[in-house]
Amino acid sequence: MPSGVSETLATLDFTPTAATLDRVITFLDGQGDGAASDTALRCEALARYEALPAPGARPSRGWKYDYAALKFEELRWTSGRIEMATIPSRPAPRPRPVEAGDDVDRPALATENAGGLFFVGATRVDAPSNVDPRITVVPLTESSKHHFAARLAGTLHEIVDWRADKFAALATAFENCGAFVHVPDGVQLDTPIQIVFASAPDDEAVFPHVVVILGKDARATVLERHVGEGDSFTCGIVEVHAGDGAELDYAVVQQTGEAARIFFSRDARCERDAQVRWHLAELGGALARTVLGAKLAAPGARAEVSALFFNTGMQHVDLTSGADHTVGPTSSDTVVRSAATDRGQGRYVGNIVIRPKAHRSDASLRDDALLLSKHAHIDSIPALEIAANDVKAFHGATVGSLDEDALFYAGSRGIARGEALRLITLGFFEPVIARFPGAALRDEIRTSLDGKIDDATEIDL
Amino acid sequence: MPITRGLVARDLRVAVENKEILKGIDLTVEPGRVHALMGPNGSGKSTLAFTLAGHPGYQVLSGSATLDGEELLELPPDKRAKAGLFLSFQYPAAIPGVSVANFLRTARMAVRPEDLNPAKFRKLVFDKLDTLDMDPAFLGRYVNDGFSGGEKKRLEMLQMAIIAPKYAVLDETDSGLDIDALQSVGRSVNALRESDEGKDIGFLVITHYPRILKYVPADVVHILIDGRIVKTGGPELANEIERDGYDGVRDEAAAARA
Ligand SMILES: Nc1ncnc2c1ncn2[C@@H]1O[C@H](COP(=O)(O)OP(=O)(O)OP(=O)(O)O)[C@@H](O)[C@H]1O
Ligand SMILES: [Mg+2]
Repeated sequence: MPSGVSETLATLDFTPTAATLDRVITFLDGQGDGAASDTALRCEALARYEALPAPGARPSRGWKYDYAALKFEELRWTSGRIEMATIPSRPAPRPRPVEAGDDVDRPALATENAGGLFFVGATRVDAPSNVDPRITVVPLTESSKHHFAARLAGTLHEIVDWRADKFAALATAFENCGAFVHVPDGVQLDTPIQIVFASAPDDEAVFPHVVVILGKDARATVLERHVGEGDSFTCGIVEVHAGDGAELDYAVVQQTGEAARIFFSRDARCERDAQVRWHLAELGGALARTVLGAKLAAPGARAEVSALFFNTGMQHVDLTSGADHTVGPTSSDTVVRSAATDRGQGRYVGNIVIRPKAHRSDASLRDDALLLSKHAHIDSIPALEIAANDVKAFHGATVGSLDEDALFYAGSRGIARGEALRLITLGFFEPVIARFPGAALRDEIRTSLDGKIDDATEIDL
Repeated sequence: MPITRGLVARDLRVAVENKEILKGIDLTVEPGRVHALMGPNGSGKSTLAFTLAGHPGYQVLSGSATLDGEELLELPPDKRAKAGLFLSFQYPAAIPGVSVANFLRTARMAVRPEDLNPAKFRKLVFDKLDTLDMDPAFLGRYVNDGFSGGEKKRLEMLQMAIIAPKYAVLDETDSGLDIDALQSVGRSVNALRESDEGKDIGFLVITHYPRILKYVPADVVHILIDGRIVKTGGPELANEIERDGYDGVRDEAAAARA
């Protein structure tokens, strides 16, 4: 695609049906973007979406949301748009901060960036960012997929198991935006790559697909943000491949508006001695569903998961994390902290699989939940499947309320009950916050949690 | 009625889970004075401390507790602290995720909202840490989280020194301390008592052993048995108890009541 040429924007009413997908495919064909293989993949994905059951509502537990009831009314699917082509034919001169779109209320970005992309709905609004010349950060489009086919082989559509995950299948069928990040062998970045998704002012169905590939011994931090007040429906996929000895911190800060629904399936494959650290802060949205995984595919591979959510009002967060130890020795360390107040509902499912060949592997899973009101609820469902011997596996989970002794202790120091509640609740999240990359990001999460405490209407038992 | 300066309990009767533990306590701790309170395990010493501090689990059946004339019993715990009361806990609670530095600042600001700029606050904290032989690394740790018994007690004393209350109840601050720690605690209490801020602090020192009273000499010693103060005397009373145990005073008390 030549530089500076706008694509045609298609807009259609969205339903998760073959009729809508036909129109999507017709449009892509018209753009010259509808390769036969992609069309077949989209159709197969929709078939999987239709065939797979809705993730269990588990009425026996407290989680009350049933995905079978999901509504897609008044949503639009757009093809997205890229105002300027961003596949660099030659390296950009120097890294500098990402530029903002004109009229978009965008969040403060770190001043230093190795590169970034900014989307409003499915449309990329900023000019080509100045990407660190050693790396590739481009929108993922049908044409960029073909352009980078060789690098994407083995990763694109191969890491997230969309054939077994209903919403990953939906995202695959209707994909309309995304990013491809490639950090070549030996390249170690000091500043993060930021990918920002802001909701469009009118209701959009957005299907992002992010692919991150780190070469041998590469090192990078990717920060994925979700912001904005729109009533959007987002259903996306993130696929990560970390080559031998590579290290990736991948942080997600989800701060969508109170009517937003946001679903993501993120998975990673870690090669020999590679480390992937997922950091997840689910702070916004009406309904957030996240599936987070890491396949430890070669000896020395390590995955860390640090996740937090704090459900206020009517918020629902449904989080599943998994570490798949396919060989040994590999290690994983999962720490989850969640709290809920008002009528907030949460569910955390923690899966650890240690397969027969994963001898001398080490897995730890720690999950603590804090309930701050009578009507709040959080389920904790750990599942450890250990098929190898000679492994270390730790698992601990608690669901509790605020520690009255701690509240009294703080009170005896002159700290009023409301302030003590705030202090203790923020402290509760600290073990997870402390694992996020970057002091500025950690402070931002603390501030956001603090604001949620202010907004909660019912925070004492 | 003239206002009585002091931390004053009058006919204080307190129940825990419907069981009467304190059966009428009368006690006045005057500004600048040190009262020791001794008594066997389970006699109600901590119950008195918690009742004064406003623990919600303690049910006041009758009586009053005032601080320089202000009734404490109607106030929530934080207002009692703001009125000038400090309790050094026998078993301090942990607050995971909240750093000592943050907690100290929050507590000091709550009790003494007058402006202490960050530099002055920092100097205050470092001075007090030094007096207590505490490593400044403590400031970055979470409040009482994973602290040893002795470290917790030192942190109680650090908080007391930084808050500089009007009255302090020390519930077995000396228990579980090694000799060095006991000396540090004694030095810290005395440094506070010698300071402008601290010279009028009235202390109620709950203890099982006279040894802390070597560092912080008591003006008055009370013996609490089965929810009643059965004997009050001078500093020598502590040594008597150390030597003879509680049987003597217990018998005397029983005879007096019969
Ligand atoms: N929360 C509670 N629940 C039930 N009983 C309690 C509670 N708190 C105190 N008690 C009872 O009240 C009595 C007095 O306890 P208290 O802790 O005041 O004793 P103490 O004099 O401080 O003892 P020690 O020297 O062992 O610290 C004890 O019999 C104790 O079991
Ligand atoms: Mg006691």
